[in-house]
Amino acid sequence: MINVAAPADARTGKRPPGIRPPATTRPGAPRPRARRLRPLWFCAPFLALFAAMYVAPIVYAAVSSLFTVHRSGLGLTAPSKVFDPLGNYARALHDGAFTGALGRVALFGVVQVPLMLCLALALALLIDAKSARGKGFFRLAGFLPYAIPGVSAALVWSFMYSSQSSPINRLLAPLGVSVPFFDGHLVLWSVANIVTWSWVGYNMIIIYSALQAIPAEVLEAARMDGASALRVAWSIKVPAIRGALVLTAVFSIIGSAQLFNEPTVLRPVSGGAISSSFTPLMSAQSAVAAGNYPYAAAQSVVLAVLVGVVSFVFLKLTGRGGKA
Amino acid sequence: MSAPAWRTSPARSPRGTGPVSRTVTTALLGLSAVYFLFPLWWLLVSATKPFGEQFSGSGLWFGGFGLFGNIARLTSQDGGIFWRWMANSVLYCGVGALLGTAFSALAGYALAKFDFPGRGAVFGVVLAAVLVPKVLFTLPLYLMFSGVHLINNPLAVLLPSVVSPFGVYLSRVFAAQTIPDEVLEAGRIDGAGEFRIFRAIGVRMMLPALVTIFLFQFVEVWNNYLLPAMVLGDDRLQPVTVGLVGWNASHVAVPPPLVVIGSLVSVVPLVIAFLALQRFWRAGLTAGAVK
Amino acid sequence: MKRFIARFAGVAGALALSVAAAGCSGSPAGTASPSGKASITFWGWAPGYADAVKAFDKSHPDIHVTYQAVQPGAKGGYQKMLNAVQAGNAPCLAQLGYETLPSFAAQGALENVAKYASADEGDYQKAAWRSVTLGGNVYGAPVDTGPMALFYNKKVFDSLHLKAPTTWAEYRSDARRIHASDPHRYISSPYMDYDYAGLAWQAGAGWFTTKGDAWRVTMDSAANRKVADYWQGLADDGLISSAPMYDQAWYTGLGDGDIATVVGAVWQAGVIKGGAKSGAGQWAVAPLPQWKKGGTQVGNAGGSATAVLKGCADPKAAWTFAHWLSTDRTAFGGLVEKASLYPAATSLLDLKQLGPDPYFGGQNIYKVFAAAAPHVNADWTWGPLMTKTVADLDDGLGKAWSGKGTINAALRTAQDKTLAEMKKQGLRVAP
Repeated sequence: MINVAAPADARTGKRPPGIRPPATTRPGAPRPRARRLRPLWFCAPFLALFAAMYVAPIVYAAVSSLFTVHRSGLGLTAPSKVFDPLGNYARALHDGAFTGALGRVALFGVVQVPLMLCLALALALLIDAKSARGKGFFRLAGFLPYAIPGVSAALVWSFMYSSQSSPINRLLAPLGVSVPFFDGHLVLWSVANIVTWSWVGYNMIIIYSALQAIPAEVLEAARMDGASALRVAWSIKVPAIRGALVLTAVFSIIGSAQLFNEPTVLRPVSGGAISSSFTPLMSAQSAVAAGNYPYAAAQSVVLAVLVGVVSFVFLKLTGRGGKA
Repeated sequence: MSAPAWRTSPARSPRGTGPVSRTVTTALLGLSAVYFLFPLWWLLVSATKPFGEQFSGSGLWFGGFGLFGNIARLTSQDGGIFWRWMANSVLYCGVGALLGTAFSALAGYALAKFDFPGRGAVFGVVLAAVLVPKVLFTLPLYLMFSGVHLINNPLAVLLPSVVSPFGVYLSRVFAAQTIPDEVLEAGRIDGAGEFRIFRAIGVRMMLPALVTIFLFQFVEVWNNYLLPAMVLGDDRLQPVTVGLVGWNASHVAVPPPLVVIGSLVSVVPLVIAFLALQRFWRAGLTAGAVK
Repeated sequence: MKRFIARFAGVAGALALSVAAAGCSGSPAGTASPSGKASITFWGWAPGYADAVKAFDKSHPDIHVTYQAVQPGAKGGYQKMLNAVQAGNAPCLAQLGYETLPSFAAQGALENVAKYASADEGDYQKAAWRSVTLGGNVYGAPVDTGPMALFYNKKVFDSLHLKAPTTWAEYRSDARRIHASDPHRYISSPYMDYDYAGLAWQAGAGWFTTKGDAWRVTMDSAANRKVADYWQGLADDGLISSAPMYDQAWYTGLGDGDIATVVGAVWQAGVIKGGAKSGAGQWAVAPLPQWKKGGTQVGNAGGSATAVLKGCADPKAAWTFAHWLSTDRTAFGGLVEKASLYPAATSLLDLKQLGPDPYFGGQNIYKVFAAAAPHVNADWTWGPLMTKTVADLDDGLGKAWSGKGTINAALRTAQDKTLAEMKKQGLRVAP
């Protein structure tokens, strides 16, 4: 089982982001062999499907990225594939559109992820606060956007942004304000808004669940001490849910890197502000459309490795000390 | 984290629940609710307008009522295929999420509660898999499914959707936190088999986490677009997201207002699932939190 | 443990049942069953194809065609077809735009059916037949063509005492008049990818040519610059709306008179009719404005074929259906009604469905297109990497129309990127 999973690990060359099992769960005495094999039975259904549905496609993509597409003459016959392990990678690194896209999502991640998580944390703390009323309603309101499929959410927001009939701009009109959502500089943040809208609630729920798991006595004791609600939130709650924050941050980083649906839906109405290679995955997708799957695979591998490195470094930096 | 015990405070009126803080909290939450609900409000208002007026007016307030007429039109378009899509979505998501939750629970429980060689490696690989862009999987999966003649077969959508690394992670963490080893040991001493122990003790204690995994997985499958669009050729097998995007892309064949109405209707089952399960899982969480 | 496995087997069984109940059919396309009845799968998206297939199945007991609707090509349908070819389970037949056909051929995704098809060549218009043949190979049956004309909102034009423009110079002055009458009114929306190509086509400003076994890319030619400069001028003067074509804002504009013309192909009639219902009775069609007074140059935009995809097990039966779809009077009559397709087959040009339409004020718009069709410049070649070329072109055009670049720059960039990709893939490029 473990061997099956190994190639992916070796390929991306990254060590597993180590969220170590807590020592308290370690069972005591050694058991007979039959018993020791039992865990594998428990994992078997998951691992078998995991190997087939995750590892195999990754290996496939990684292998195909080592070939380049080659044609000749007018190219009106089927292309051939030539083994050229570094060809696509060299090309990707010199492809201004692709590196530009990488830079764009990096900027996106650096701004959007902390912003969204702060918002999610603030909302979770507010709902968790003793003084909140209508908790159920607000929790549901925040969570609802998550239930809207990404493509539909982007469609609805494209109506919100429409240069002709934006309801937002109509509301702002009396103030003499009109937001140019598709301005070249603003468009990335228009996309960021959709992503934030869709995912704040999701992150809020994870954080909120972690807040719920804080022992009531601890909070009660702090309150008895006369600590203010803000102080309890900052000094007790936030440190206690550090693990959940790290988790949501990692998932958000991964999500940003995979930005695809929202800009793709907005592109036709963006007046050129969103190009066909706006994000790395869009760039890869347009390579697929041009009949160059190996190049698309190489771009995806580069992206996956970069995301892996960033997540790993992030976990290393935050992992020291109080891991839940 | 333990609080110094020497300081006593008036327990009758703990700070943080005064009228001012209540107002501020509610105002901030209200503001967030406006942000979250604004686009959905637009969707709701548009879908209730008489057919064809979806894009006229400010879109922020109701104008005439045509919801039932709209739904009738939705039903009659292409011989009622919309409901077929909805049924497909519910089937794919329900089955996928159920199996996904079961497999995740088994694996997560094993990773948390058994010591076996390579346990860390398995868990690491599972987490690493979360990092790989999903879009990358579509074409290889497509080719693999073609190889085993699963194209145009719902299994091609179901099989990938029962794999949930995040679910494994969540159930592992939850199992480690909430299931005491002593309880399991007691079961073993009584001579119960491991699977029986898992079913009788593990599942019960992990239930809140399992509901959460089920919900998240349900939504993830529901949102999945690229893969079903690729592997299902027959439009009677497609889930509703793929169907709606198809309608949206066909300028002439399907009137655009139907897409708006269809979008609203397609969201309803998810909202119901959330509403129904929210109470359940909230109770579970609170119970688990006291531990 | 046994019980555990048994239980899972039970779940799997139930799953398999529910899957079967969902009516799945995993049979590969295009197999001839033992009974001798050929079975063909056909992917397309044009409204009306489903009904045509039903009619075919009724009248042809020896061939069974299954129609499956896919996304319009550029929105994902083409990608799905290419993947299916690569995986070896493609349908026998697919709706394929003429502009994409060479790209498909270049990926080895098409089957040569010259053996069966050549005898029927005479049934089709020359230019259409040329669109499905490459180097002596025939890849499918032409279905419709896209001769262009000017759709204009007659009510708006009448209210300003304007007549339909006959030259592009008149078109420009009309644009000024219309915008001056109301700042919300524009002569047109921006043209992208293949709609823009139609404008270049009319002016004889080709994008690709072949010389021996080498490609030449001419998107940056003098003729192309002339067309680009003209439209750039309109955009710079603020006479072009910001509503993208096929967007809801465009339909709204067409309906309420804020967008006064569409320079487009015949099938646009169906798009306008279907999307801008409130414009009923206001629209009319006039011949394409000319670069020289009294000229008769016409461009083409779109048009598609029923192409035979690689791996088709029964290309003969496939051709039988494809040819029938393009030439059957009843079936095509339905396509005219539902999608305003203009037949590529010569014998269908007198279909009664090609008649007056109340949406266009009772005008017989097809007469305009029929007059235009013979003047479509037959000397136009599509490149081998069109998806990439138009994606790059649209990146630039989108900016140019919104005032952040020029159309010329967009064409130049698209040409450079196309050349670079061609060289990278080893295609021969003429110096």
